[in-house]
Amino acid sequence: MVKCHDSIIDVKLFFFRTVKGLLPALLGVGFFLLMGAASLAALLRYSELHSWLGYMQQPYLWRVVRFSLWQALLSSGISLLIAIPVASCLIHRQFYGRSALLQLFSVSMVVPTIVAILGLVVVYGRTGWLNQLFGVQIPLYGLVGILLAHVFFNMPLAVRLLLQGYDLIPSGQWRQASQLGFSRWAAFRWIEWHYMKKVLPGAFVLIFMLCFSSFAVVLSLGGGPKYSTLEVAIYQALRFDFDLNKASFLALLQVSICTLFAVIVYRIAPINRQDVSLLAVKSYLLKDSFWAKSADYLALLCAFVLVIPPFLAIFDPIFSPVFFKTLQSVALWNAVLVSLQIAIPAALVSLLLGVCFGVLARFCMARQYFAFLPNKIEHLGNMILMVPGLVIATGLFLTLRDFGWGLQSSYWIVVWVNAVMALPFVLRALMPVMYQQERRFRNVYLSLGIQSWSRWCLEWPLIRPSVAQALGYALLLSLGDMGVIALFGSQGLVSLPLYLFQLIGSYRLEEGACVAVVLISLCLILFYCSSRFIGGVTARVKN
Amino acid sequence: MKPFLLSTLFSAAVISLGVAFSPVTLAKDTLNIYTYDAFASDWGPGPKIKANFEKECACEVNFVALDSSVGILSRAQLEGKSSQADVLLGLDLNLMEAAKQTGLLANHAVDTSAVTIAGGWSDKTFVPFDQGHFAFIYNSETLQSPPTSLKEVVDNQNLRVIYQDPRTSTPGLGLLLWVKSVYGDNAADAWGRLASHTVTVTKSWSDGYGLFLKGEADVVLSYTTSPAYHIVAEGDNKYKAAAASEGLYPQIEVAAMMKGAPHPALAKQFMQFILQPGFQSTVATGNWMLPVVKLDEKLPAAFDSALKPVKSLVLPAKDVAQHRKAWIDEWLNATTR
Repeated sequence: MVKCHDSIIDVKLFFFRTVKGLLPALLGVGFFLLMGAASLAALLRYSELHSWLGYMQQPYLWRVVRFSLWQALLSSGISLLIAIPVASCLIHRQFYGRSALLQLFSVSMVVPTIVAILGLVVVYGRTGWLNQLFGVQIPLYGLVGILLAHVFFNMPLAVRLLLQGYDLIPSGQWRQASQLGFSRWAAFRWIEWHYMKKVLPGAFVLIFMLCFSSFAVVLSLGGGPKYSTLEVAIYQALRFDFDLNKASFLALLQVSICTLFAVIVYRIAPINRQDVSLLAVKSYLLKDSFWAKSADYLALLCAFVLVIPPFLAIFDPIFSPVFFKTLQSVALWNAVLVSLQIAIPAALVSLLLGVCFGVLARFCMARQYFAFLPNKIEHLGNMILMVPGLVIATGLFLTLRDFGWGLQSSYWIVVWVNAVMALPFVLRALMPVMYQQERRFRNVYLSLGIQSWSRWCLEWPLIRPSVAQALGYALLLSLGDMGVIALFGSQGLVSLPLYLFQLIGSYRLEEGACVAVVLISLCLILFYCSSRFIGGVTARVKN
Repeated sequence: MKPFLLSTLFSAAVISLGVAFSPVTLAKDTLNIYTYDAFASDWGPGPKIKANFEKECACEVNFVALDSSVGILSRAQLEGKSSQADVLLGLDLNLMEAAKQTGLLANHAVDTSAVTIAGGWSDKTFVPFDQGHFAFIYNSETLQSPPTSLKEVVDNQNLRVIYQDPRTSTPGLGLLLWVKSVYGDNAADAWGRLASHTVTVTKSWSDGYGLFLKGEADVVLSYTTSPAYHIVAEGDNKYKAAAASEGLYPQIEVAAMMKGAPHPALAKQFMQFILQPGFQSTVATGNWMLPVVKLDEKLPAAFDSALKPVKSLVLPAKDVAQHRKAWIDEWLNATTR
């Protein structure tokens, strides 16, 4: 009897201590859920479910859904297909400008859409470089244009995500491959592919969601309303019709479709088991061959052709006299300041949330009864990407209004929504290494009783490159944000992208292009600083 | 498990938030005006209007800049009765009915008899503050024989056209109504014919105009006053507005005061101010639109040469509000066939 009683106390005590230890993480995730639920509830309060059936029967809606699915599948598929050989090449070859290329790859996704579109037009358009130099005219408006733009935005992102997979490869495996005289193909087949498989599903889902909800690109380069996405309808319902009911229906539809897609991908994909590996990867030479060389050249050429020319077009304005005039305006530097005031806190909050998610997920991973949870937790964080930022922001706005908080809190809303929107990227960067640490050292930590701060101190050198990358992405995304801040705009809250849109909204396209250069440069600098000062020297592979 | 790191991170975040955010303290007699971004920008008419009005009212003008004219309305709707807005500045003709139906707007007591808009102005809720017409803009150096009518724009299969989406932008909606008022029940056929030589339909005015300036199209939907910008600000005479023998569709921007305005007296004073020279003299070179009253000082010559419509086509606001959805569906079906 007594023994049994003791063990119950033990269990209780254990439970209590665990929960206490997890409390900050639980609080973080709970807060995230609460805010998400609140904004969803606010929107749903205005919805009339019986009218949803009517929306479902609109043929145009399903045409849009079909097209969205199709173009998102194509875009993400092509991006990944190109990214795989490019990532492999970047790992094995050292060449001049490699790290600059990687830096550039990190910022492609935050290029404001209008700037990217105009950049693509300068390259592929009617009077574009392609036509002037080679006399080639591609049918830019239509599926081709949409794919070109999406590959420009997402292929570099895919490369960076895949490179994270390479970080998981133990150096012992490379050493063996080198000793056994593996060719590049054999190494890819027997080592790299094994690790790539772990990051591919996540990257695929992430890029798919980005493309599925793409808006301005699809409209501008689609060549007409034949090509459209659900996001367009959501924008229309929220802004032009102020039809909260329809907007929440469409948002839920989008979430359902993306969730379904993610579930299918994860079902097909192999279960994500992280291996024990050493992080400090030493590169070993593999047998080189003509075929390996040509494959690498081809992959690099592909990446260069698709990514570099639009970037050159975007950076073109620095040679114009307008550029220096733009640099001298006070408004520009005010906008830079506002952007930093939003981006830095938002990135920190996002990182904090990401760590909360990571801690919770890896706690569950090792415990029998919760072992099914980590993927779910991760997916919870990703879900935010499926909901348009405009919808989250609107929902939050309504919630806050009901609490009696008005405009005064707009700064905080902007920071919060930006932080939440960046979470999927933070999780992509953070989760693999956090899982890996758990697998590798859990027993050591448990048996030695190393906990909390001491554990973080031990782990820090190993996870800091990933933390840096997570922070970098969160910074970039918040810097590039346009939708959220536009909804909550107020005097004095003019961020860099908003300033850019003000300029091009009143004919000043040239100055707008210059501001875009400033924005991208700022992104590059921040990303560099993040990986240099937080990532430390171990970030070698990534940068 | 790791409360320490989390709390450290958290406090770091909180501190940086605190440092980054210094609350804007509002003085008591501040007039809050919701407007769109370009209007309130440094180069827009906003700063001059602020200075001119502050001389008269002994108050402070605070512009809240939103992303578009639709954004102004949806922001006011989102905030509802608890809105801090006194005046909404920058809605347009086609948003008026929807804005009235929100029940958030008060009537004005401004005498609008001096307004020079064709057909006069009699609306009790809105005061117009600038005007113009939608028109297709072309580059006279590259397009030798510009269209002279809307029918030509629709039918000329060699003309590459860019316009904006009526679901997401006000000029797009303007074209929708323009086509409707010219073609009536045959609008669907017209859209079908236009679709075959449309380069693309963009989300917003700036996307479309940007693509046009890069040489992607022969004509783009914009305003009759657009060439004036290129003449005055860039000294460039090559961009011109194409004439339309059927008449042009007007774009009139309006303002209204809120029923629940925190500073009703100031709001009323501002509504009166809108038709005064202190406001009207700023719209031409600030917002690149025409003033709505006759001014003593002459506008820059570029505005004199601006295209004048042979006729101003305008559909009744009630019809627009009632049929807008059906007309957009008609456009959608005709262009996606």
